[in-house]
Amino acid sequence: MTISTESMDGEITRVFLDGRLDIDGAQAIDLRMNVLAGSAKFLLIDMRNVSFIGSMGLRSIVVPAQAVRRRGGRVALFGPVPMVEEVIKASNIDQVIPVFHELEPALAALQ
Amino acid sequence: MATEEAQEPLVLDSRLAELSRAQSWAQSLAQHLGLSEKTLYAIRLCLEEALANVVLHGYRSEPGHLIVMRNWSESNMLFIAIEDDAQEFTPEDSPPPGASEPASLESLTPGGYGIHLLRHFADSLVYERLVEGNRLTMGFSIHPR
Repeated sequence: MTISTESMDGEITRVFLDGRLDIDGAQAIDLRMNVLAGSAKFLLIDMRNVSFIGSMGLRSIVVPAQAVRRRGGRVALFGPVPMVEEVIKASNIDQVIPVFHELEPALAALQ
Repeated sequence: MATEEAQEPLVLDSRLAELSRAQSWAQSLAQHLGLSEKTLYAIRLCLEEALANVVLHGYRSEPGHLIVMRNWSESNMLFIAIEDDAQEFTPEDSPPPGASEPASLESLTPGGYGIHLLRHFADSLVYERLVEGNRLTMGFSIHPR
């Protein structure tokens, strides 16, 4: 699991996640996600290359997202593959962190 | 229909690092049975959740304890049973997070999704308390080869 970020217009930080967000993957991104939790205002989590997510992986997204929101920011999930999206929906996370499959609406939701 | 035990039981030590062995075991099982990608995903997810629960909650992250995994096929279902000799752990005790519609992100429990995902992705889920330990049997619908 790799994580990289890109700054976009409008103070949006785009986070690229690549690989399996299983227990090991969650540990691999936790530190960087915690830094973003404290610094990012608008977070776009690009999940197009996430092939798997479990509850530990959900946690490593939800906890930083909670922190961003507490600081007055916003978070959106972008492009999860079908099985990953099913996990997100099964956990009701999509009801509080919106999921988008098109970039423009995702960016609009963060502004 | 005959019950078929497809693979040797897998014995794991109670460490998260052992989960990759369980994943490889599931992968070969899926190949042997010709399972779909979707079914394999569900099995791998359920194994991760169930085994993490045993290691972290059942054995409280103590290594050196045994976890035994068995599988068998019966009537277009694949069953995987996970046995441990840990303290009692009952899936029924955990209500799904956001069981009523969650009002906000803040009201969701960050770590509480495991059992909920098991219930969603396994076609059947049976928990039994053993004399000393627990057995969780997960069932997955499979298409005949």
